[in-house]
Amino acid sequence: MAGLVVAAAVYVPYSRTAPQGANGGTATGLIYGSVASVCMLFAGLLGARKQVPVWRIGRAQTWMRAHLWLGSVSFPLILFHSGFHFGVGLTRALMWLFVIVFVSGIVGAMLQHFMPRLTTERIPLETIYEQIGRVRSQLVAEAQIVIDEVSAALAGNVSQATAQQRAASASAGTMGGVTVASGLQVDEGASVQLQEFFRRQMQPYIAQRGSKGMQLADRNRSQSMFQQLRVLLPPNLHPAIEDLENICEEKRELDQQTYYHRILHGWLLVHIPASYALLLLGAVHAVMALRY
Amino acid sequence: MARRIRTTKNLAQRMDLQYFKQSHPLRRWRLWLSILVPFVAVGWFAVQRANSQKIYSSGPLSAAHSVLGRQCNVCHVTRLGLFRARVSDDACSKCHNAPAHHADKVTFIASCGSCHIEHRGSPHLAKTDDASCTQCHSNLLTRSGGLQFARVVGDFDKQHPEFAALRPGGRDPGQIKLNHYAHLRPHLAGPAGPVQMDCQDCHRVTAMDSSWPYSQPGSAPNPLPIADGVGDHLRHSRSRDHMLPILYVNQCAGCHVKDLQFDKRFDQAAPHDQPEVVQQFLVQKYSEYFASHPRALAEAGAREQLLPGAIISHKATTPLMIPHNRQDWIDQQVMLADRLLFDKGCKLCHIMIPGPGALPTVAKSSIPRRWFLHAEFSHDAHGLLTCEACHDRAPESRETADILLPGIRSCRNCHEDGGPRHDAASGRCSECHAYHDWTKEQPTKGTFTIPQLRATASP
Repeated sequence: MAGLVVAAAVYVPYSRTAPQGANGGTATGLIYGSVASVCMLFAGLLGARKQVPVWRIGRAQTWMRAHLWLGSVSFPLILFHSGFHFGVGLTRALMWLFVIVFVSGIVGAMLQHFMPRLTTERIPLETIYEQIGRVRSQLVAEAQIVIDEVSAALAGNVSQATAQQRAASASAGTMGGVTVASGLQVDEGASVQLQEFFRRQMQPYIAQRGSKGMQLADRNRSQSMFQQLRVLLPPNLHPAIEDLENICEEKRELDQQTYYHRILHGWLLVHIPASYALLLLGAVHAVMALRY
Repeated sequence: MARRIRTTKNLAQRMDLQYFKQSHPLRRWRLWLSILVPFVAVGWFAVQRANSQKIYSSGPLSAAHSVLGRQCNVCHVTRLGLFRARVSDDACSKCHNAPAHHADKVTFIASCGSCHIEHRGSPHLAKTDDASCTQCHSNLLTRSGGLQFARVVGDFDKQHPEFAALRPGGRDPGQIKLNHYAHLRPHLAGPAGPVQMDCQDCHRVTAMDSSWPYSQPGSAPNPLPIADGVGDHLRHSRSRDHMLPILYVNQCAGCHVKDLQFDKRFDQAAPHDQPEVVQQFLVQKYSEYFASHPRALAEAGAREQLLPGAIISHKATTPLMIPHNRQDWIDQQVMLADRLLFDKGCKLCHIMIPGPGALPTVAKSSIPRRWFLHAEFSHDAHGLLTCEACHDRAPESRETADILLPGIRSCRNCHEDGGPRHDAASGRCSECHAYHDWTKEQPTKGTFTIPQLRATASP
């Protein structure tokens, strides 16, 4: 920071007194450009350092801080180097690349600062991002087990009924009032509806990446759907419904985590390739400028 | 039925411990983009380089040079197949002959490119930065001779000396007795009754071709005398910048022709010319009169009565003799007309110097054509202002010696360093001063064809 202040302090009289104005071709301009290039190179070495994490060359945190500071300092230095002109051709391409790298870096730094806390607060069931697909399939399996158990329980109720109860069940509704027989009929229907709910709604929702077009993705709608299931099922099976609901909630959190992760790391898709291009074209620019 | 229980252990058991060895879409994208984008960037550079040299350009060309944008080597002369970033003065001189000023005195001659900064998209390349000038003028050193100008000249706001004419001791060198105050009074006697004169009745820029209100009746305006004075070089004769010189026939004759009337027997006034010419004119006129008036000799006794008022002259003591012949009569009439003209009419405006001969000499008018001998000023660019806004002393000036040029403080009301940044007119050196000595400019001979300049095939 002190270096940047010094550079800015030098720039003011330099730009006012240089016969040609501030530009990269003057001795001072070349010094600005050289220092900025060195800063950029060191900032770029963070990528190499990450590729070989076992290297014992400073702490990762130190490297990241150096990356941030050197990257931040190099941008104004390059502006001093160019006299705040973007130029045309290669210089303009370089300046725009640098703007992209700098802005994406600033955005990335801000995201890296705020997003992890936000993720921790909003996603208590956070898992390893790369394992989300695997966890999803495990959730499908878990839900399938719950469904099977509930279906088995409902089927048990029906199979254990006496012949008299079955006959009464067949005539249920014609005589009015709720009887055990009519309950048997409900259990059979509930089992079918539960299976149908799982097959049509829950299983596709959990299995697929994202939640586009899925009703269970909406928490309120999901709650009302599971509430209907509770009405259908006897109270002793309600904990199972709660398990299913938790599985959906977990899936929602996984989707949310995916979304946050993409925001948190998506900027790198811009920052890193643009940085490589910047370093490459910057080297071309340096060679040409020094040669001619 | 067993409840679904989440413990740290069963959560941990969900994980594939080798997950980091598998590729991931985000990482895969990052890798490919990190290869692709630099590759595209270098490819773009290669294609641009193959098409033109413009890829090397550090900025857009100035407006005047933008036509050369396709052919860098017009200025960046190629050597050994490679163009050079530095443009030599020789390349500029192909099209521009711009002699340096005080080339024999200054400690160094700046290269063209050190002042005229290209590749900045400047609309006016000639408008150089102040630093180009102040690199010498902030502490002026000369190789030989004394300083002709101030040693320290910096920005226009604070470090510019007062204009030379207005420095202590400066006076108008003009020898015409002109009273601006009298001329701007109301109800001045004009050629056809009372008039209220205006500055523009006499002071106009060159391009104004409307007729002069007080020019010699029936005469076409005199052509411009383009000869004497500084800055008459063609490049500086911008038609709307400078004021036309004051000429009797254009600005004065309308009212002052009556002051050249020498005899009521003649309608024609004496010519506004040197005394010798006037004398010749008078002799001719009286000769013609004598020839057409045989009784002229008899009328001679009454001649003195024609003269209005008393006449004080170097010849005033000469007694009037009764003419006896034609020559005596003509000499006497001419002498009387001389008295009227040279002792009264001409003296109204001119300084008459008694000469060794019979005729006086008229002091050279010496009205300065240009007050700024080392600067440019455009009246046209200041046309939105009233004359008095800058020449505020003119309406009250009674003496010829009054210098009515506005001082630098007047200019500083509008012109500031950094101009447009402060909602002001520019205060750059190049607004008024030119580095090059255009009086020594030589014509250049073109060396390029259109296809060479435009990088197109020959038609």
